[in-house]
Amino acid sequence: MMDLATMALAGGTMMGLGVAAGWVLGWASRIFHVEVDPRIERVNAVLPGANCGGCGCTGCQLYAEAVVAGRIGPDKCTVGGPSVAQAIAEILGVELGETWPFRPIVHCRAHTGDKLQMGNYSGESTCAAANLVNGVQGCTYGCLGFGDCERACEYDAIHVVDGLATVDYEKCTGCGACARVCPRNIITMVPFKRERMLAVACSNKDFGKDVRAVCKVGCLGCKACSKASGLFIVTDNLARVDYDHYDPEHFVGVDVAIEKCPAQGILYVGKPEKRDLEKLGDIEPPKLVEANFRTTVDRTDWQG
Amino acid sequence: MSYLQSIFITAVTMVLINNMVLHYFVGICPFIGVSRRVDTAFGMGCAVTFVVSIAAALSWLLTYFVLSPGAPLATWLVKLANPAFAGTVNLSVLSYLVYIFVIAATVQLVEMYVRKFFPGLYRAFGVFLPLITTNCLILFVCLEVMKNLSVDAGAPWGLDRTLIHAISSGLGFMLAIVLMAGIRQELDTCDVPAPLRGPAITLITAGILALAFLGFTGVDRNLIKLGEGGPEAVLPKGRVEASP
Repeated sequence: MMDLATMALAGGTMMGLGVAAGWVLGWASRIFHVEVDPRIERVNAVLPGANCGGCGCTGCQLYAEAVVAGRIGPDKCTVGGPSVAQAIAEILGVELGETWPFRPIVHCRAHTGDKLQMGNYSGESTCAAANLVNGVQGCTYGCLGFGDCERACEYDAIHVVDGLATVDYEKCTGCGACARVCPRNIITMVPFKRERMLAVACSNKDFGKDVRAVCKVGCLGCKACSKASGLFIVTDNLARVDYDHYDPEHFVGVDVAIEKCPAQGILYVGKPEKRDLEKLGDIEPPKLVEANFRTTVDRTDWQG
Repeated sequence: MSYLQSIFITAVTMVLINNMVLHYFVGICPFIGVSRRVDTAFGMGCAVTFVVSIAAALSWLLTYFVLSPGAPLATWLVKLANPAFAGTVNLSVLSYLVYIFVIAATVQLVEMYVRKFFPGLYRAFGVFLPLITTNCLILFVCLEVMKNLSVDAGAPWGLDRTLIHAISSGLGFMLAIVLMAGIRQELDTCDVPAPLRGPAITLITAGILALAFLGFTGVDRNLIKLGEGGPEAVLPKGRVEASP
């Protein structure tokens, strides 16, 4: 009897507390009601809630507020992708233009062995410091390879490999920190219309002879690519890809341009696409050669 | 010892000597998390002080009238149902549940209030405001209330004593977190050795701060003596004799 009464009392106590707290909080939520744009709640509901910061805001809630306030576009959620962008655009009642994620491209392809006229630099080992000094390396446009971009990257997505900054597009979120920190401005942010993009990996604006003197793989400005394909524009002795008219479905003469480039500076960067992997699948793997021990016994008569 | 003196000594003890953060090591999470800037640290100190006062007062009321063995309200309710009942009602098993419930409700209230009247502070707190719910400082004070209300405690605490204790605990937390924020703001301009940057130097600072507060040990005892016997009771014996 007593246990039963205690149990009932315990339950009653908790219930009473619940009712009291509910009443007080309900009253407080009316008194302290804050008028918020209902769209913020709705935008926040369609966001993935990863709070990754890929959009540039601290957390999904702040991104939702910024989107509704119009400070940032509805397509900036990298985790959610196009479907979330579409949902946000519907909530806000705006049209979603076709956009692509921005990714960095390093406009240099000279590894340590390709760089010529290397000086003996023993100063502060940052690109910013080395860029102030003459004669660290012959090319005044190329990657210095001291890794300022590597240190600026929060996502471990860019690394100096054999003296050249190399982007890991699997990890890259396109925040642009590397492009901002590079003292030579050889990293540009490019709209990636495909997972794999064409790039001219050189920034040297000198004449061909001068480029040859400082780099084995630099762009000579020979215009072989722009003659082969309209996608390439040569200005200031430097070829570049016209990303405004980049249409991967209608490439004309690009393969010829890649083949004809004497410096072989036109290359594809980015993640391998499905078809690239399929192309690899078509290649027959080299057959293993079985050892034939009979041939190791020398049966020739001639001995010397 | 007069009532005012006892209030003063409780306050000094809880703020300086038995400081919640630096002596009991409770409430470390916001102490590290929200101590980047002095103004947000002060706001967090205010919020915690408010929550701990309300929660301790409510806990005292609930413990005294409902939860403790033989509590009047609970006994009356059982007698109402069964007039023949002659035992003691003991609902103290519920205490943790009730305390956490009360703390959570208070924090919800504070969150609504801060959101309405201090939007900037609300944004600066971020996740740490709802996390006051799980701030062990507050549960610690509630449990101290329960301990000192029980019959074994000798002189059970009244509501006044509980409130003084809770408010000075909160003020001690505020003092610690504001000191820490001031130090960390200064540290931002210092050249900290690379391996110690970030959390490492923060934890080292917290440790040194706790060591510094260790220097207050014994102040309360001398204050009590000062209240009872005047200055002669506190000064070292030798010095009193040597003076002309």
